[in-house]
Amino acid sequence: MTDPVASAPTQSPAAAAPAPAPSQPAMQPSSQQNLPIRDSKPAKVPAQKDKQQKGKDAAPAAAAVGADAPTDGGTKALTPAELKKKAKEEKAARRAKEKLEREQGGAGAAGGSAPGGGQGRPPATPKKDAAGGGASQKGQKAPPPRRGSGPGTVTQTPAVEQKKKKDDKKVAVFGHLYGQQRRTTIAGAGKEVHPAVLALGLQLRDYVVCGSSARCVATLLAFKRVIESYDTPPNNSLSRHLTTVLSHQITYLSTCRPLSISQGNAIRQLKLTISSIDPSTPEASAKATLCEFIDGYIREKITLADQVIARSAAQKIQDGDVIVTFAGSSIVKQTLLQAHSEGKRFRVSIIDSRPLFEGKNLARALANAGLDVQYSLMHGVSHAMKDATKVFLGAHAMMSNGRLYSRVGTALVAMSAKERAGGVEVPVIVCCETVKFTDRVALDSIVVNEIADADELISNQLPQQVTGLADPAAFTAAPVDPKKGGKPAPKEPTPAPSASSRAPSTSPLTEWKDTSNLQLLNIMYDVTPAEYVDMVVTEMGSLPPSAVPIVHRMSTNM
Amino acid sequence: MPSTSVALTPGLASFLKSLNTNPIDTSIENLISLLKRRQIRHSRSCATATAYLLLRVVSACRTSDPVKLIERVQSVGRRLIAAQPREMVVGNIVRRVLGLIREEAEGDHDAEFALSEAGSESQPQTPRGFDDSSLPLDRDVLRPDADRAASRPPLTSMFSLLSHPVEDDSQPSTPGTQSPRGLPGHGPAKDVRAEVLEGINEITDELDQVDDQISSYALEHIHSNEIILTHTSSTTVQKFLLKAASKRKFTVIHAESFPNNHDATHATVSGNSPADDENLSFEAFQKPLIALGITVILIPDSAVFALMSRVNKVILGTHSVLANGGLVAAAGTRVIARAAKVHQTPVVVVSGVYKLSPVYPFDFDSLIEYGDASKVLPFEDGDLVDQIDVQNPLYDYVPAELVDLYITNLGGHAPSYLYRIVSDHYRKEDISF
Repeated sequence: MTDPVASAPTQSPAAAAPAPAPSQPAMQPSSQQNLPIRDSKPAKVPAQKDKQQKGKDAAPAAAAVGADAPTDGGTKALTPAELKKKAKEEKAARRAKEKLEREQGGAGAAGGSAPGGGQGRPPATPKKDAAGGGASQKGQKAPPPRRGSGPGTVTQTPAVEQKKKKDDKKVAVFGHLYGQQRRTTIAGAGKEVHPAVLALGLQLRDYVVCGSSARCVATLLAFKRVIESYDTPPNNSLSRHLTTVLSHQITYLSTCRPLSISQGNAIRQLKLTISSIDPSTPEASAKATLCEFIDGYIREKITLADQVIARSAAQKIQDGDVIVTFAGSSIVKQTLLQAHSEGKRFRVSIIDSRPLFEGKNLARALANAGLDVQYSLMHGVSHAMKDATKVFLGAHAMMSNGRLYSRVGTALVAMSAKERAGGVEVPVIVCCETVKFTDRVALDSIVVNEIADADELISNQLPQQVTGLADPAAFTAAPVDPKKGGKPAPKEPTPAPSASSRAPSTSPLTEWKDTSNLQLLNIMYDVTPAEYVDMVVTEMGSLPPSAVPIVHRMSTNM
Repeated sequence: MPSTSVALTPGLASFLKSLNTNPIDTSIENLISLLKRRQIRHSRSCATATAYLLLRVVSACRTSDPVKLIERVQSVGRRLIAAQPREMVVGNIVRRVLGLIREEAEGDHDAEFALSEAGSESQPQTPRGFDDSSLPLDRDVLRPDADRAASRPPLTSMFSLLSHPVEDDSQPSTPGTQSPRGLPGHGPAKDVRAEVLEGINEITDELDQVDDQISSYALEHIHSNEIILTHTSSTTVQKFLLKAASKRKFTVIHAESFPNNHDATHATVSGNSPADDENLSFEAFQKPLIALGITVILIPDSAVFALMSRVNKVILGTHSVLANGGLVAAAGTRVIARAAKVHQTPVVVVSGVYKLSPVYPFDFDSLIEYGDASKVLPFEDGDLVDQIDVQNPLYDYVPAELVDLYITNLGGHAPSYLYRIVSDHYRKEDISF
């Protein structure tokens, strides 16, 4: 917060939010309502003109936005420049509306339904411009405002405060990453979203499906079911319409958890394939082609690739090695099991971290297979590294500048490997399918990252427990919350499991959201500098990290 | 030392309470078992307990023969150190008390015979000369506050003691000076034991006030709008930051030091300390940083590297400091210091001089203590515990090259300078007693 540069973006909405709310409450809702139905200009032009006169003194900015567009459109044909301007203004108005609704949504718990967010404002309208155009349009909406009028004015300040508080809980440097809160329920998902995708979304959110490859495969399989159950509506071609159907699913998935690089790559390929389908192809065969493509993609890019990688990475393991790995990468697990099945004698040291404890599953799997496993947490990395001979890491993505984007903490492990403790640097080997290669670049872990719910840090539960308990809590909370409004819902179910299940031992942090100046940060990834990575094992061979952009170009151009 | 709080669990408070009533040998046994069972943990608690125990030992020792006194303290000290060799402050305090006795003995000898020859201390003639000649240099290097302390520990002879009384009086607020030791005229007449007891009292005073003394340097090291990263719930670090927070605004990123100290860290950060934490009971009254308007960001240990590029300064507490400038600190400190080095972020270690140990580490592994594995792998995963080897190191050795600055109660020092402070505080003959 104290950093002037970083705090600017987070400060401004908080500071800006209260300003328009009291000064021009009438203008914002009315202008938004005009925008969506701007085709019916004649009806609205007088109203707008009327407002323009009144609004001149009241609210210069909002009135101009609202009034300019219809008058221009009504009188003459728009030049492209004007069209652009208009579109911009519309966007601005829409944003303002969304912001308003969000604000109201935060207060929604106190009173009023979600649509009430828009309606909470109008009570001021009759007072301010009694004969204003806004009032005439909202004639049919008059009753709800009355109901909401009492709390509307009262909850306005809490709404602002709450928003401020919420901003206060955002770490300034990462302000840009707090885009939206993760979806907590399937309520509010569009009806276009396929049930398989709905389920997958929740699994992604709860880390049931976790890991870059797993998420990619699961997404593709869910999309396969979407395609199977898809029927092209009349007057539409499959290659055009299916992409829009899929983009609904994608939007839903990305509200559950931001898409991984591998998901993005797979989706891009799938869309490319869909759009390259000849419109004259019969629907059944087109769908069969797509399903085949998906199966082939999973088989080639992930299943077989994993086998190839495991086999070639296992060759790097020798008898007597001590392998250090971080968290729970599926491909590293496969590699270690492969090496073990080849009869190599080695020891594995797993470093794990809060809050996901992914390494625990890896430890269990390896121990069950009979490997010699040592387990410690992030704090013991220097000790684990003391007798390490190799470090194997999984990847979330390989950036085009050779940097490794992976679970947060990977960079520390790689760095410790390169610390000349005993004078010897431990080689760091990354196992990564080319589907995780991306043309994006990253210098630090701040610009590109993913923020997870900070409440995960409070309870020391196992991830399985978190998911096991969060689910019923979310579902029981689901029927109650949506009625209260979209936004407060995300906040309630998540603390609930931590509070209820860990009631006996309350962490001093349970009330961190009400403690001012205290912030919790739970980021998911970090970026490991390329110089810490000695080798990237892919299905196309073992490469230095500098070869990532070339391989990525090759694999996408093919 | 407040021993007023009724603590039922064995620990520092209960020990101090029983100290005056129990016979001396029982108290020694008591502290040994506390150390062995790790019921007394924090460096400062250990140091305080040792100092008070030695106070009792010396006062119960009905002799004013320095050689006998030294033997007695040495034998107690050996037992304490054997009980918990990794708790290096215990040894440090014993060494300082031994140094006090020797000093007083020498003082007597100097005054009476102008010659020192008390058994083992026949050679201090040369080091003392060296000390005296280097004193002016010390004064130039260190700030006035440090001056007092710099001149106090090397009081190897009555000459230097008598030659600096004015400076001592110029620092009225500091504890060391209020004792009559600084005043001329007392020395030769008093018996050694009383002088030693006063010296030990000074040590306990120092232990009480060391954090405040360190924090007085805070404003010299923290500028406005800084982003500071710290780790674990060290009281010294908290006081240091609090002092700076009273004048300046900055941001603190706090790594939670997961399995071993995260509860205390969470409590420190949020300000609601759990009531059962006996070790910090009298520290619990201090305000948290957030109450002073400082933004505190709590992060898991794994996110340190990701955030290090934004951090201006890393401020770390420590368990003990070694003569080579390296330190033994809570596990996880080493990667943090290393990450800071990689990002060219300065690493500052705050530590009282009492944590400075004359031990030179040849075998780093011997310094590391391993803790409760169930903190790493909870009871629910009992099936795993049988199959895998779970490790929970409590401490990390951080080499000197990862530290940029030490701030002690004497001021700021480069790691390379620490050996000098060590030689100021401990007598050569006591280093391995």
